[in-house]
Order: sequence, then C-alpha cells, then structure tokens
Amino acid sequence: MLQLQHVKKSYDKTPVLKDISLDIRDGEIVSILGPSGCGKTTLLNLILGITDADSGSILFDGKDITREPMEKRGFNIVFQDYALFPNLNVYQNITYGLRNKPEISTSEEVDELVELLGLEEHLRKRIDQLSGGQKQRVALARTMVMKPKILLLDEPLSALDGVIKESIKERIKTIAKEYHLTTIIVTHDPEEALTLSDRVLIVNEGMISQYDKPCEIIHKPKNSFVKTFILNQLEIKRNNIYSLFEDTVAANGMAF
Amino acid sequence: MKQKNKEIKVIFAFLTLLFAVFLAIPMVRLLFKSFVGDSGISLESYLSVFASRGFGKALGNSFLVASVSALTTTAIAFLLAYTIHYTNVPGRAKSLIQGAALLPMLLPTITYGFSIIYSFGKQGLLTRLFGRQLFDIYGFNGLLLGYVIYTLPISFLLINNTMGYIDKKYMIVSRIMGDNGLSAFMMTIIRPLMGTLAASFIQSFFLCFTDFGIPASVGGKFQVIAGVLYDEMLGSVPDFHNGAVVAMVMLIPSVASILVLQYLERYNVRYSKISVIELHKNRARDWVCGILSTLVITGVLSVFAVIFVVPFVSEWPYDIRFTLEHVTAVFADDALFGVCKNSLFTAAATAVFGTLAAYGAALVTARSTVNKKLKNVIEGIALITNTIPGMVIGLAFLFSFSGTAVQNTFFIIIVCNVIHFFSTPYLMMKNSLAKMNASWETTAMLMGDNWIKTILRVVTPNAVSTILEVFSYYFVNAMVTISAVIFIAGARTMVITTKIKELQYYNKYNEIFVLSLLILFTNLAAKSLFQYLANRKQKTAASKSRAVKTAQ
Repeated sequence: MLQLQHVKKSYDKTPVLKDISLDIRDGEIVSILGPSGCGKTTLLNLILGITDADSGSILFDGKDITREPMEKRGFNIVFQDYALFPNLNVYQNITYGLRNKPEISTSEEVDELVELLGLEEHLRKRIDQLSGGQKQRVALARTMVMKPKILLLDEPLSALDGVIKESIKERIKTIAKEYHLTTIIVTHDPEEALTLSDRVLIVNEGMISQYDKPCEIIHKPKNSFVKTFILNQLEIKRNNIYSLFEDTVAANGMAF
Repeated sequence: MKQKNKEIKVIFAFLTLLFAVFLAIPMVRLLFKSFVGDSGISLESYLSVFASRGFGKALGNSFLVASVSALTTTAIAFLLAYTIHYTNVPGRAKSLIQGAALLPMLLPTITYGFSIIYSFGKQGLLTRLFGRQLFDIYGFNGLLLGYVIYTLPISFLLINNTMGYIDKKYMIVSRIMGDNGLSAFMMTIIRPLMGTLAASFIQSFFLCFTDFGIPASVGGKFQVIAGVLYDEMLGSVPDFHNGAVVAMVMLIPSVASILVLQYLERYNVRYSKISVIELHKNRARDWVCGILSTLVITGVLSVFAVIFVVPFVSEWPYDIRFTLEHVTAVFADDALFGVCKNSLFTAAATAVFGTLAAYGAALVTARSTVNKKLKNVIEGIALITNTIPGMVIGLAFLFSFSGTAVQNTFFIIIVCNVIHFFSTPYLMMKNSLAKMNASWETTAMLMGDNWIKTILRVVTPNAVSTILEVFSYYFVNAMVTISAVIFIAGARTMVITTKIKELQYYNKYNEIFVLSLLILFTNLAAKSLFQYLANRKQKTAASKSRAVKTAQ
C-alpha cells in the first residue's frame, strides 16, 4: 500500500501541492485527474522520486520512503512521449534494464510480455518505424520487464487516436490485473480516468477535490469543481453521442 | 499549390550570377594558376612546392597542432556546456561561463597571439604575476593555446546547442532502469552528442588548419601551412604559382572535413520533445564542474586581461603608470582613425548585403515551390562557401581581380566577406523560414497580397529576430576577419585587422591593443544593440498576442 501523508510542495514559494494525504491499495488502478497546472505532474514526480517533498511523508508498505532516491524505490514510469532510446531497436529497448539486472526477468517472462502486448513482429524494428500505439506498448513492456512495485503512467492515451486508445486501455487493465500491479495514471481527460480506473483522484489547485470510485464521482460529486469541470464535460459528450445515435436511428427508421 | 515564382527566379538568377562571378570564376582561376608554370601547363609548381623541405614539415605541423587543438577545445567546450545544462551551479555563474566562452569571437585571431605574447612571454603580465615563464610560447604551445581560445566559442555553441535539445527525461529512464552513473552518462549524454562532438572536432580542426592570425604572431619557427602561404604570396620572394599550389593543398583537408560534417549530420539523434526535469542533487558534481569551468574561463579572461592593461600604461613593462596617451594617440592619428572608419563601413556594408543575400537564398529554398534542382544549386553554393578557407578565397580574388576596376576597392572586400561567411547565415535564415507555417503565402495571396507584399507584411516581420542575428553575425565576422582580407585590402581600403598585421612589423603593440579594444567594444556594442532589438521585437510580439487573447 502506498500512503501519502500531508505532503506539501512549492516551487519558488508558489505552493503547487497543499497538504495531500491519500492511500492507494495494492493492485489498484488509480487515476490522478485534473486540469493543467493543478499539480498532478508534481504529484507523480513526488511518488516516483524525481522531486523531494517540502514536508509530509510517503510510505510504501508501511516503510517511510520520503527520502529514498528514485532508483531505490523500485517504482517505474512510462512517460507521455515514451522516451524510447532512438539508437536502440524495439527488442533492445524492452530488455534495456536486463543489462543492469539480468536476474530481474527470465527470458520466458520477457517473451510472455512481448506476446501479451502483441509486439512479436516488431522486435527488430527501429523506434522511428513504429506508430504511436506501438511505441506505447514497447514503453510499457520495457517498464514491465523491471517488475516495478508501482507502475506510473503519464498521460498514457493523450498521444493516441480513437481505436488505439481503447485497445491500449484494455492492455493496461489486463496488465494491472494479470500482475496484480498497483497502477497510477495521470490524465486530464475525465472519460479516460473514469473508464480506466478503480478509483479517481481529482486534484484542483494543489488540493484533493474528491477521491472516489467512478460511480461515486458521477452520482455524488462532492463540490462544484467536480460538477462543473468533470461532470459537465462528460454530459456534453454523452448528449452529443446520444443525439448522433438518435439521428442515425431516426434516419434508419425513415428508410424502412 | 500553384505559384508562378517569378520573383523567386529573379532572386535566384541574381544570386547565381553573384556566386558565379565572385566564387566560381576566381576558384577556377586559382586552380588554373596552380597548374601554369613558366612553360605552359605543367605540374612544375606542384613539384617545386612539394620538393621544398619546409613544406612537408609545415603540412605535418598543421595537421598535428590542429588535431591536438581541436581535441582540447572539444573537451573544454563539453565541460562548459555540461556545467550549464547538467549541474545546479547558480544561474549567474552559468551566464558568466556562457559569456566568457563566447567572448573570443569578438576579437580578431591576430590579437590572441599578441595577448598570449604579452601574458605568457618573457615580460608578460602573467609571467610577472607567477614570477616565471610558464612555458615557451613560440611554436606549438602558443599555437595550441591560441587555437583553443579561437575555436572555443564555435565548439561551445555547437555542443551547448545540442545539449539544449537533448531530452533530459532519458536520464530518469536510464537511472530507473538500473544504469549506474557511468552508463547513464554514456547513454543519455555522450551517445546523443556523438555527432555534435565529432562535428565540433572537425569544425575546430578546419578553423585551426586555415587560420592565419595566430601563427602570424606566435608561430615562431614552428611553420604551419597558413604561414607558408603568406610567405609565398607576400614574403621576401613571392611566387604566385607556388602560392596557388599551397592554397589548393590547404583546400583539400577543408573540403574533406566539411564533407565528413555533412555525413555526420544524419547521425544526430533527434528527440521528439524536450522536457525540463529537476536535476538530480549532487553537490560533488556541481563543485567539480563549477571549479573546472571557473578555471577555464579565468584562463580565457586572463589571456585577454592584458589588452586592457598594456595600452593604458606608459611603457610596458618598464613604466607601468596609468596613461591615456596611447589611446588619444590612436584617435589623433588620421591614418589609424581612418582605418577604424574603414572597418566600420566594411562591416556594416557586409552585414547589409550579406543579410540580403542570405535572406534571398533562404526564400528560394525554404519558401518557394521552384524546381528542386534550383534549390540544390543554392544548397551547393552554401556548402562550397563553407569549405573554402578565407585565405584561399582571398587569394583567388587577388588573382582574379588584380588590374580590374574593382581592385583596391571596398566593394571587393565586402563581396569577399559576404561570400566567405555566407554558409552559416544562410542556414540560420533557412531554418527560421522553414519553421514558419507553410500556408502563409497562400493565405496572404487569397487576401489579395502579391508576393512582395506577403514577404514584407508577413514573412519578414516574423523573421526579424533571425534577420538581426544574421546581421550581427556578418557584422562581427567582418570586423574580426583577417584571413580573407589580408590579400585584398589595399592601402586606401586598409581595415583594422590588416593594419594590425602591418603594425606588428613595426612593433607598435600599444596601437595594436588599442585597435583590438576598439574592435571588441564595437562588437560588444553591436551585439547588445541587436540583442536588444531582437528582444524588444519578441516582447512586442508576445504582448500583442496576449492582447489578442484577452480580446477574445
């Protein structure tokens, strides 16, 4: 279990996170949702260990890791732009971490991951020959090979288009379930957050606005921010889609 | 998109004519000259040059000292750039490092040599400070020091620029994947910089190999090829044919190095996105890099300190009372003052015409739909001007335009500078124009603008900061160049750098340093002015766009 207790962080005296406390259970998928500038990336950086908190503490399985350096925490991240090494091919990228810790994953485990993510046919390709969705899967595989204790995903779907988006969503869910992996996703898209995760952490202006299951957020929004910015967006989308389908139904009906 | 490109073709024709007359023809004549002996076309001159004992030695010396210098410069420039991008050294120290690394650009190379003499020589400032002479300055050591200072700005600019475009997020990935310090360093810094480091080495090598100013002052008995060329042409027994041969030999490594640079281009790693990250805290790294960089910039600055001392004392090193008599003497001397005016005029005119040429050329390649072949001609011209050393082009001009109406005119010097420095400004312009939205011309034409109006109303205003940069580049380089103009500056068209060479002959070092200071201050003033204009332009643009946003 990951716990944050009264975590605060400022940059140049501007508070970015003001007193954040939360628990994330093992094997849970949690989305951090909020508008740009709300502090969600800083929160991600704090958990990963890129940035140090000004005060408060971070605990993992009861152990205080607030001052532990990034590489000792054993968490791992897939960045929004994937950060794949352009001078290495797909397979070399996936097995990058094995050069340093050969014992961490067996070759069967690597094969299994490659298969799960559908990358068999791409292993010898250069990174610039891949599509966005393929890059995303390679980056996921590279990270999973390291068997992270927590998987962090920074805007994993924002660079992808329609159908690919849905299929990557499914892969993320499968991986989290299959490996019983705690997964934290940063996103600005309410639809993504609410359809992908077990619980959603809505952050606004450096504070937790609401932290709940998707259905609770939909049916019991805690405050006006959640209502206006999160639910409104979804309602507009829903109405657009409904009206689209109604028209089609009507048009089809006319044809009969 | 359908475009008639009439105006572009006019620009193209004009540029082609310019480079045909002032680049192609002179170079062909130079080549021709090298093959013409007393008895018609022969290899006589080549044989005579190669047979002379000093030539092989000088060529070897040139290769040796240029390679060692290039390697040293690249290592130092890397250190400075690393300190700026990868350490938590205070921001002010970073800007100081950057400023000091670029300072040598604003001075002519011939001045470096003299400041080395006056710093490390028997009676030098630093020699007196340390109480003994640190090393023998004439020959290899002096050349090495001079070349390193000379090439540091270029090498630093290259490496610093690429480092800015390295996605630093990879450092996090590398560490999280369990890389240790060294392999993370190799993977996330050295690997993506490989192409640039090689480019820095080659560019520095090229500059050292072809520079004339530094060997002219501290070469001593260590002959290098630029010195041989000067002696063949303007020495006691001039032989123009042999000079042409030496120039051709000088050209070969230059062409080779530029071709390798072109080839290396494709090995540059390109990142899709640059992310800023918080740098890992590491006080040891910060201190080590900070101290080493401070040492380097102190070294560079201390070599130049002497220019600020010698001309302001009565008689260095015997009478070191402060005086302004040397400075006033220079301004009182009509000949010297005239030379300053000449330099200013030449630099300003070079900047105006050079910027026009670069802008026109960039319009052809970046913002028109003319035939690919025409574009390749422009690209070829830029590449060729980059490969030709200043001394070689100067010599080609000397052969081609002696006895014509343009001999001993400012016109010839200005054209020579425009052509000699064409490559970098052109690339700067092209990159800037290519980044602009490709549909602007179409949009403007749909709104009823003709081509010239579009260029004036849309493209130029958006390129102003690059235009100013190009202008400043031409100005500063025209102020400091000596290699290209040493053969073509006449008595009436003498510029400061060639005057310095003449003053050396009479041992008038006070005047040399006063003139060098004048160049330095002119360049500093020009650079700050252009910087100010460019910033102001950007600010007004930003505030305008803000205004538009709030209006919406």
